[in-house]
Amino acid sequence: MNVALLKKSLLEVRLLFAACLVLVFAFCFVRVFIVASLELSDFAAIVERLWDKWGKFSAVPLSQLLSYPGRIALAFDEPIVVFTISIFAISRGSDVVSGELNRGTLELLLAQPVSRLQVLASQALVTIGCLALLSAATWCGTWVGIQVATVKESVPPPKLKVPFLPAVPLPVRSDEKIEIPMREKVDPAVFWPGAVNLFCLGCAVAGVSSLVSACDRYRWRTIGIVAAFYVLSMICKILGLAFERFAWLKDLSLFTAYEPQKFIAIATRTPEDTWSFVRQVEGLPELGPLGYNAILLGIAAIGYLAAAIVFHKRDLPAPL
Amino acid sequence: MIVETNQLTKTYGPLAALRDCSLAVNKGEVFGLLGPNGAGKTTLIRILLGYLKPSSGWAKVDGLDCERKSVAVRRVVAYLPAEASMFPQMNGRDALKFFAEIRPGSDLLRSLKLAQRLELDLSRRIGLMSTGMKQKLALAATLAAQTPIYILDEPTSNLDPTVRQAVLALVNEARAAGKTVLFSSHVLSEVEEVCDRVVILRAGRLVHTQIMRELRTQHRIAAQLSAPLPPIPQSLRQQLVIASHAPGEVTFETPGELAPLLGWLATLPLADVRIEPVGLRAIYDRYHSEQPLASGQRELADGVTPHKQAALSGG
Repeated sequence: MNVALLKKSLLEVRLLFAACLVLVFAFCFVRVFIVASLELSDFAAIVERLWDKWGKFSAVPLSQLLSYPGRIALAFDEPIVVFTISIFAISRGSDVVSGELNRGTLELLLAQPVSRLQVLASQALVTIGCLALLSAATWCGTWVGIQVATVKESVPPPKLKVPFLPAVPLPVRSDEKIEIPMREKVDPAVFWPGAVNLFCLGCAVAGVSSLVSACDRYRWRTIGIVAAFYVLSMICKILGLAFERFAWLKDLSLFTAYEPQKFIAIATRTPEDTWSFVRQVEGLPELGPLGYNAILLGIAAIGYLAAAIVFHKRDLPAPL
Repeated sequence: MIVETNQLTKTYGPLAALRDCSLAVNKGEVFGLLGPNGAGKTTLIRILLGYLKPSSGWAKVDGLDCERKSVAVRRVVAYLPAEASMFPQMNGRDALKFFAEIRPGSDLLRSLKLAQRLELDLSRRIGLMSTGMKQKLALAATLAAQTPIYILDEPTSNLDPTVRQAVLALVNEARAAGKTVLFSSHVLSEVEEVCDRVVILRAGRLVHTQIMRELRTQHRIAAQLSAPLPPIPQSLRQQLVIASHAPGEVTFETPGELAPLLGWLATLPLADVRIEPVGLRAIYDRYHSEQPLASGQRELADGVTPHKQAALSGG
């Protein structure tokens, strides 16, 4: 690995990375406060009304969604988080070849004694490293939020204690509210599978973007092609979820492997399956969180490998 | 031969950017590439650097195959692209540091000195530099590399006359240091000033090779005729070419020494005689003038074809 190339890639990425880092950290931090500020009963009232129609789009059961971990886990499906990671991945992936070609900088870069593979690898390494840090920032923002936020809950009804018998709660409703630290309600560790899944999605998008970039000479066209692929992928998943007869479309979508809420629910409810490739659900085998992540990382690996082959073999056009 | 190509061809579908180009560059030579846009100069350079794969033929630099050993080739070559684009996030000093770090054996101090000589402000961000400043920066980065071969593609474009002269001086210094320079340019006077040998490309073909030392012995004699031109004596026919002949005026060109012709010229009915070196312009115009002379218009004293005549003039 060429240190000068790595330094150059880091220099190019630093502003975008810093902006994305602040954004995802702050959003995930604030998201915990929003969860804390809206009482569970109020949230349940809203969701239960919509559940009949909205339920089929949810990756988790209603009971998970009405828990604190379930509500915080929604942050990983929020457009701000998903799009920030995706935009970062598309931006960096598209820059690999067509970006440098478009700017005319590849000409002078490849005049140096470095291989095309080294140029691609340095860009990929920095992109993947930054994606890992951005995903970690979503977890850190969530962790900090959980440490400092408090939730208001009704005081539990008094219990009648009778000697030699279990305590019996009295049917008396109290209007008194007490503040409980969020950290007593939620274990931050359960959000790691969501952050890892987000990282894998970013890698997959970066891999696809790099492949398109390696084939192209205009960055704007690369971004357009990848954006079209991204939107089509989203549409496929939505259609697949919305209509039974289009269920097969889900298999064509990148986002079918992006299920952070589901993986957080698994970490909350069946911790032994948190890092499983395959898990048993009602006696039947099903892909576990690592299985889904492996699909995304596989797409990333294929994207980068194909990009390396294309970039190695292609003629480089003269700068525009 | 430090650079060698054999039947090098690059085609894009039906379009041939370079056709059957065979050339050899000697070590320590400043070798010029001449031709208009689209003649194939940049294609040739890009094949040498491994940016393009030849459709047929081969190219070698320092004995290394340009297609298969392109990284090793670029280890011995420092290349300045035409209109070099640099990394906009860096400032001038960072860019020179980057190029010094990426090429083993490079010398940052040397590139800083070159930048100073080219009157470059290194504190400015490249994104805010003018085209000329970027060109100077690229020149400093390229010429600071301690490589045996420099390939300079239009190195003086976008530069002011003072810096142009500094660049030509640097090329001469490189030659004095035993380096080989491939110098591609549209500016004939610059090529004439620094090159030892020049090739002219037209529509992808190498059409002429000119040894500059030989060109400097050639002259053009233009004069008014006050009487019909007598035939050229048999003994002088190999040494004199009638480049143009219209009623009342004539232009001769001498492929070699002028002295043996002066006696016969003195007997001609000439007035207003102008004797000047042929220069690269005349050679270039034979292949690239907007209205090329038809072969019949070009009266050749000994009946040679334009191709043979070109060969006579040094190719």
